[in-house]
Amino acid sequence: MSSRRSRSRQSGVSRISDDQIADLVSKLQQLIPEIRNRRSDKVSASKVLQETCNYIRNLHREVDDLSDRLSELLESTDSDSAQAAIIRSLLM
Amino acid sequence: MKIAKNPHTNPTSIKTRFALRFLRAINKLSNDNGTSPRPLNSADRRKRCRAIRAASYASMASAVGPNKAWSRAVLRKIRNRTKEMIKPRTRRGAARGSMNPRKELGLGQEKELRELVPGGEAMDFRRLLNETGHYIQCLRAQVQVMRKILHYSST
Repeated sequence: MSSRRSRSRQSGVSRISDDQIADLVSKLQQLIPEIRNRRSDKVSASKVLQETCNYIRNLHREVDDLSDRLSELLESTDSDSAQAAIIRSLLM
Repeated sequence: MKIAKNPHTNPTSIKTRFALRFLRAINKLSNDNGTSPRPLNSADRRKRCRAIRAASYASMASAVGPNKAWSRAVLRKIRNRTKEMIKPRTRRGAARGSMNPRKELGLGQEKELRELVPGGEAMDFRRLLNETGHYIQCLRAQVQVMRKILHYSST
């Protein structure tokens, strides 16, 4: 296990190459609200990965919750008005 | 109606493609359940909720198409499920070869990410990053459309 350390990397992350880190940071940083506003040299690859995993899990939970609410909604309305609602949401 | 400027009426936008497929799926679900008594008991309600969730992911994967490894993985899983899984497919040689150990972080987060992104286990690290970015954008679009549907259905 390499014992190389440098300010921009944490131990255990030293095996990725620099351009992979740059890939990670630029790509995911733009997408993840948590870390979007931090400057790239202050965010470790490990942190980006962790926040990415958290973010994906949150999105999955949202889909679960929305599916639940949609299911209740469909139960209580007839399919025509549900379709009308979807079409309206497409057009607006 | 400003068709040209509205991304939602752009026929090729991912949100529109997703919404149309999702609509189709929900419609089918409503028709299939037409004869069941209302209100649904709790087991049926859970089943319906799971069906809607599955339709949501399937609609997004279908809207994305086969050009991404993650969407292919989702579509494959659905096809296998409807085929009544016979036995698990073994990974093809190319996929195995790309699990280059030198490129693995060995950190918990990478493993976690591979489990969260469909098809993530078989990708090399660089591809995993790429696919993750796209997957997140699509998940966000999925959530936004579902929220809108709910919003317009309750007004």
